[in-house]
Parts: sequence; C-alpha cells; structure tokens
Amino acid sequence: MDLQKINVKFFVEEPGAVSPEAFVLLFNAWIQAADGEYYDIADYAHVEAGPGILLIAHEANVAMDNTGNRWGLLYNRKQPLQGNNGEKLRRVLKAALENCRRIEEASSLEGKVRFRADEALVLINDRLSAPNSEATFKALKADLETAAHALYGNADFVLERESEDPRKRFSVRIKAAGRFNVAALLANLDKGTGNGNRRAAS
Amino acid sequence: MAQSLDWKEKLKSRMAPDLAREIDIFETQIELRKQGKLDERVFAETRLRRGVYGQRYDNGQRHDGQKVQKLKLPSGGLTKGPETVWDAPGMLRIKIPFGGLNPEQMEALADLSEEYSDAISHVTTRQDIQYHFVHIDDTPTLMRRLAAVGITTREACGNVVRNVTACPLAGVCRDETFDVTPYAIACSNFLLGHPDTQDFGRKFKVAFSGCKQHPCGLTTMHDMGAIAKTAVVDGQERRGFEFYVGGGLGAVPYKAQLFESFLPEEELLPLAQAISRVFARLGEKRNRARARVKFLIANLGIEEFRRLVLEERAKLEPDPRWRDYLSTVRQYRETPLKPAASLNGGERPRGFDAWHATNVYRQRQPGYAVATVTLPLGDITAGQLRGLADIARRFVKDTIRTTVEQNIVLRWVSEADLPALYEALRQIGLGEANAGTIVDVTACPGTDTCKLGIASSRGLAKELRSRLSEKSFELDAAVKDLRIKVSGCFNSCGQHHIADIGFYGINRNINGYAVPHFQVMLGGKFNDNAGAYGLAIGAVPSKRIPEVVLRVTDRYIKERKKSESFQDFVGRIGKKETKAMLEDLTQVPAHAVDASFYRDWGDPREFTLTDMGVGECAGEVVSQAQFTLAASERELFEAQVYFDAGDLRKAVMTAYAAMVQAAQALVKTQLYDVSNDEAIVLTEFRKRFCDTELFYDKYAGGKFADYLFKAKETLQQQNGMKQDGALRLLQEAQLFIDAAHSCYNKLSALRVASPAGGQAANQGEG
Ligand code: SF4
Repeated sequence: MDLQKINVKFFVEEPGAVSPEAFVLLFNAWIQAADGEYYDIADYAHVEAGPGILLIAHEANVAMDNTGNRWGLLYNRKQPLQGNNGEKLRRVLKAALENCRRIEEASSLEGKVRFRADEALVLINDRLSAPNSEATFKALKADLETAAHALYGNADFVLERESEDPRKRFSVRIKAAGRFNVAALLANLDKGTGNGNRRAAS
Repeated sequence: MAQSLDWKEKLKSRMAPDLAREIDIFETQIELRKQGKLDERVFAETRLRRGVYGQRYDNGQRHDGQKVQKLKLPSGGLTKGPETVWDAPGMLRIKIPFGGLNPEQMEALADLSEEYSDAISHVTTRQDIQYHFVHIDDTPTLMRRLAAVGITTREACGNVVRNVTACPLAGVCRDETFDVTPYAIACSNFLLGHPDTQDFGRKFKVAFSGCKQHPCGLTTMHDMGAIAKTAVVDGQERRGFEFYVGGGLGAVPYKAQLFESFLPEEELLPLAQAISRVFARLGEKRNRARARVKFLIANLGIEEFRRLVLEERAKLEPDPRWRDYLSTVRQYRETPLKPAASLNGGERPRGFDAWHATNVYRQRQPGYAVATVTLPLGDITAGQLRGLADIARRFVKDTIRTTVEQNIVLRWVSEADLPALYEALRQIGLGEANAGTIVDVTACPGTDTCKLGIASSRGLAKELRSRLSEKSFELDAAVKDLRIKVSGCFNSCGQHHIADIGFYGINRNINGYAVPHFQVMLGGKFNDNAGAYGLAIGAVPSKRIPEVVLRVTDRYIKERKKSESFQDFVGRIGKKETKAMLEDLTQVPAHAVDASFYRDWGDPREFTLTDMGVGECAGEVVSQAQFTLAASERELFEAQVYFDAGDLRKAVMTAYAAMVQAAQALVKTQLYDVSNDEAIVLTEFRKRFCDTELFYDKYAGGKFADYLFKAKETLQQQNGMKQDGALRLLQEAQLFIDAAHSCYNKLSALRVASPAGGQAANQGEG
C-alpha cells in the first residue's frame, strides 16, 4: 500500500486556553512571513466540532482543528510524497510537530498553547487506498509501529483504530506511556529509529 | 489522474452511463487544456458548466495586509481560464434540484468534503452545496463519486439553467395548492443539457412555489417562476401555474412580470423551452451586465416578449417529454418512515421548547412535522452531515431538503419523535433553535472566497448571529421574525434585497484609507415569494452594522403601530427619517484613533480592494460553434488514444466523427439548429462553406475541405485499414479542424457569421 494524503493531529493540553480568533491572527502573521506559501485562512470556528481555523496551502494545510470536539493541530499533507511508507509517515509527523513547536513558541499566544505529545492521531485522507477496515490496519501496522517507534523511542506505546465505522477515514491513535513534549519528539525523529519496547496494538 | 481512474473503475456500475461519459469527456478536456490544445476561455466556460468555479486569489496573488504576495503555485503559467492559475484552489458547486437529498447522498457529500475540500459542505441561497479550496485535478473524481449517488454538478455555473429550486415544504405545506416537486424535477431534467439552453448570454434561474403568499419559492426574483394554481376548465379542475418571467436580483433588481395567469401544466415544459430559445436568440451576449433575461424583457416589453415566446412555442416540434412525466405527477408521494403520532405527553429535553417554537413546522398531514436543522452560515461539517444521515435514517428515511435560507429540513418526522430527534441533533451540534428568525442570518461567501467580494458578508453575519443569539430570549416577537441577509457586494447572492434588513458590501475611501462599509437596505419582503425589494438607506462602516440592527429594531419595537409590519413601519417613517436615525453611525474615526474600522470582520488584515478579481458568475460567453469545435478537438484526441492502443478502426472512425463535428460547428454559425445527422451536416457544409468558398484557404484552396469528403470515402471503402493510412487520416483530420478554427475566427472577425432564420445578431461571434 502506497500511503499518501497522510494527516497527523496532535492535541492541545488545555482546550480554550486561547480563543480561535488568536489563531486567525497567528496564521495571518505566518502568511506575512511566508512569501506566497500559504494561500488563505478559512475560519470555521462557528461550527461545532469542526475543522476550526485552517491555513490553506498547496502542499499541506495546517489547521487548529476541533474535529471530534478535541482541539489540536492537524497537518494535512495533500501532495504526494516519495519514499517508503515509514519515511512518509516520519516526514508528516515531523512537519506536524514543527508546526506545533511554532505555535508553542508564538509570542502572540504567550506560551498558553501546549500540545500533548503522548498522543498522535494518524489519518489517511483517502478512502480508496485506505478504507477504514481491519485489513488496512493489518497492512499498515508495521509501518505505523515503525513511525511510533521513531516518535517515542524506547517508550511503550499502543496503536488503536479511532473508529470502526467503515464510512469514516482510516485513522489510528498512537498513545505512548510517559510524558513527552514536542521538542523531545522532534529530537527523536531527528535521531532516527531506536530500539524501544513495543507493545502490540490493542 | 491515476487515482481518478481507480475511482472510475470502482464506480463504473454505479454511474448512469451518460453521466459517466460526460465526466470522461471533462477529464479529457482537462488533459487537453494542460497540453495547451484547448483555448482558456472555452475551457473556462466548459468547467463552469461542470460546476467548477473560480475562487478568490486564483489569479495567483493575495494581499497579506502589508503587501501583495505572489502565491507559490507550481503550475506556473498554466491557466484554467483568463487570469485563473491552474493550481489555485477553486470552488465546486453541486446542484441539488429542489434541494432534495437522501442519506446516501449526504454521506457521499461528507466524504468528499473531507477528502477534497475543507471538511465543510456549504448550503447556498439557491439550495446548492458548495465546496471550497478544491483542486481542479480532483474534480473528475469528485464528479464520479457524486454521480455514483445520483448527483451532478452539470450546469451548476456558467451561462445555463442553474439549479431549479422549490419550496422545501412542497408536498407537506398546509397552504400549498399542490406539490410542485414533480414539476420541479421534470423541469430540471428537461432543461439540463437541452440544446436550446446552451447558448445563453447569462445564467437563467428557475423556481417553483406551492403558493403565492409564503416566501419559500421566491419566484418573483427568478428568471422564470411558477406558482402552483388550479383553475376550472370545461367544468374540470385543472392544474397549472401562475407563471412569471424576468425577475432577478443583482445590481439592478427586477421583480418578475406576470407572463400568464394560468399556464396549464402540460404547457410548462414547452413554454420553458420556447423562452429558452427566445432568450438564446435575442438576449444580450456582449454586455454581461445587461445579459439576463430581465433586461431583454425590459427592452422588448412584456407584451412583445410574450408574443415572441408564443410564436416560438407554436413552431416547436412536439417532444414526448413535455407530457410523459404528467402521467405520474399525481402519484408522486413521499412515504414516511414512522406512523403518525402526536407529541402529547412525552418528556421534553432541556432546550426543546425553544427549538420547537422556531424549528418545527406542523405538516398538512396530521401527526407529522418538518424539523429545520439550523446551519450557522449554511455550513455543516463532514461529521455532522454523516450524523445527520444517520438521524434521517432513524427518523425520516430520505425526505430531506436544503433551503434557500441555508438550512436543511427533515420532513415527515412523526411528531412523537420530535424530542428524540432534537436530542440526536443536539448531540452532533445541530440543535440550535432560531431557524427563520432574525438570528438566522443568511450570507453569501463574500470576501471569504468570492472573487467579487468587497466586504466580509460572512464575517458580519457571524458577528450578528452571535450578538443576536445572546439576546434571542429577550427579543420582541415582532423583531424575532425579521430576516437579515448579507451580500459581500451588490450582486446580491446573499439576497439582501428581499430581507427586512439587508446589507451589501461596499468600499469608502476615507483619509486615504479604504474602509469596509455596508449599504443598509430596509423593508424588503421575504413573504409573498419575495414580494418587495428593500430601500437603500445609506452606507455605514462595517464595524457599526451591529449598532444599525439594534437601533432600527429598537425603534420598530417602540414606535410601531399595532401589528404594523416592518415594511409598513419603514415606509411610514420614510427614508429621510431612517437615514437621519443612522447618521451618527456613518462616521469613521481616524485610523490613529481606532484602526479596527479599517479592518473587516474576522479578517486581521488592513482592508483593501486589491484582492478583488474578475468574477466568473457571468461565465465566458462562448458560442455553441466554439463548444462544438472544442468537442471536435477532444474527439480527435480520443482518436489518437485509439490509434496509440492499436485500434485503427476505432481511431479512423473517431477522427472522421471529429471532422464532421468541426464542420457542424461552422454550419451552426449560420444554421443554429442544424441536425446531428451526418448526411445533413455534410450537405449543409458543402452548400454553405465549400460552394461559397468561405472555407477556402488563401494558399491551400479547397484542400482541407477535401480531406473531410475523402475521409468519408476512405471509411466507406476501407477494408483492413493500414497503420500509415490511419495515421494520415488522423493528420488530415487535425488539419481540417485547424482550418475550421481559422475559418471560424475569420468569420467572427468579419462578422460574417450572422445567423440565419432570425437568429441573434451576435450568436456566432467569437
Ligand atoms: S454577492 Fe458578491 S460577494 Fe457575494 S457571492 Fe455574490 S458576487 Fe460574491
């Protein structure tokens, strides 16, 4: 299975620490600094449990997303990636975390936004290549484990499907034991794979 | 493309063959455009007619509040229309005739919004669904997945018949004359892709209403509006329509005029066809601003327009589709999922009563109700749409409709189920009350995504919604029922003219700064099928509009006479007094004092008009001849594909068909109605273009025309076509089509291509 359209979400520690409008302001500042990379901002804070505030670009959208009533940073890779699935997952995880770090460090947010780094949601935005089924899970489990391992080093982690509803997109939650922060995960990814203990997915 | 082919394979058996073929053709057109083989204007109108619309910043630049940025769009110079960069995100409009949806369709819409858009389905003021931030390369796949659930995007945009709308209460309304739904369906199907609707200078909008007094159908603001009516003819009650033409909002709003006080049902489709023909023939083609049918009628006068239409009607060849559907019209019925039962007694969850008061309509059928799902700004998330599909399956099956007030209704809810329904809606964040009240503000996309937007209609609507919903419990009943509608510019997609309180975006330059403003319109009438248009009172800075709403409504509450309507109140106090009442709100503080006035709602950037683009609402005026020429190019492309695959027989036949199509394109410039019959096309082509030497090349003489006739002979004789022979025929076909293009351009330049038989003077222009 050639994984594309990989999405990754990291959840905020404290929802409501800042208002959604703060992200409109922040993303606007990112646009001003980016010289044409980002196309626009879409603000859907008025719908419940929705896509929140999106920063639209060609390669990937970045959003402060509230799907499932859980605010978090969603990195939505749209353009195809080269490499094997493990490499692609790592690239997307890294890009998502870099955006998380940028948010955590944004002076306009005064350090109020922190991400829970012990949990990551990996979602494949393509029902054709990755239907939400146990078969897809089996086919991707090794790649996901490798990615989780790269992310959490030697820590224990579990992989679980977010939902078994076949209408939904295939998504897997990676939950690690212990406390992590964004910087640590980025450092892990930069280090490459370690030899951590791995627990079978439940 | 590879992925699209996979979906194509997967959905093959689920798409209607004609729909599947149309999408294949569109995919080929995309490919041709990428290869530079399809003119950008022709491609623009082609994609518009497939619902593939432009979006703000698709010219490749955006003002970031400090400077204009050139967007990094990898497609470089490739365009999908004039000043429209290929890779720039666009909008896809999805036609939902009469707003009718079923759960399977809702699920498909939810899925597609997630995979190709921003996880939001937006309900428009004409019962369509729109996706934003869509890449054009994804559109064939989107169309296939929609086609698999019986939805088309065809003719959702462009100079064609747009979505046919109808009252969302049709069939269950307590006041309707009869259910207009089957007529709306028949009209939509009949006009979709009809040859007589393909050569308009502008869009054409059709609406149906079950009664005259309620607002649901908004027939008087449509190009063609039909209100259900019965009459006793020869002692028998007959169905028909009070039939209107020439309405429309936009910068210059016109109320539709009565065409026929009773049009018998069997005349509905032929009359629509005759009107289409007259509009195509005589409607303005050059000046888009005057190209809607309302201007044609204003120019001709309704009497002359009626005479021309009836004359056209008399000439029409009978079409069995005019009447075929009538045999089943009276049997058209929706079936409820649950037995009728009253609401009495059951436990009512918290918030239910308020929701029930504004969002529930008691149906004509005892024990059943229509529940309105309030969508903020017409937006619904993918998760909510999927959840709503589940709710529909649980309570009503497939009796779901979108509304022109950007909501969704579930019809045939057993009244006893209402509390459980409310609870289920609440759980997916759709339990908001206030449907159809002052809180339920309607807005067009405005500067969020529309290229023509001047001010942020959605930003303002959001602000008004939030302020008004906080006060909704204390709002006076007379105020609660008022409607607010906001457009981002004068084009009125938000339907500001027909609101009690309407606004449209404008700009004012103050001390060297652009300042977002809204023009205040008061006293429009949503009732009586959009019975009156509001009065422009004056421009107020965007940031002061919430105060306008408060001031106007407060004064109405205080000073209205007993049961005086808002329209009557506004009329009574007069424009001068109303303007004076708002005078102080028109002031803009200096930039240094309050810079927030120089930014729009929900947008942190300093306000500017730099981002306004060229709108695509009007589409490109592309003649039928140009479309046919483009189709011949596509056909030749397919011939090449057959050739490459080694199917020589199919290759030469397809190449020949492409040549015939190119010849037909030229004939169309003189004989609009030319048949598709090959022999007739060849005869007409010979008579009009060869014998007259119009098709002669300056240097090659009649050589290119000879290729066509020679190809026909080759096909007739050919036994076992050889590869080099086939290749030659393909090459000659290309030369013939190129020559047809040159001839068309020459004729356009010379304005020789004047139509025969009373056709419009500019029908063949390029
Ligand atoms: S009214 Fe103007 S801003 Fe709004 S959608 Fe129409 S053209 Fe765009």
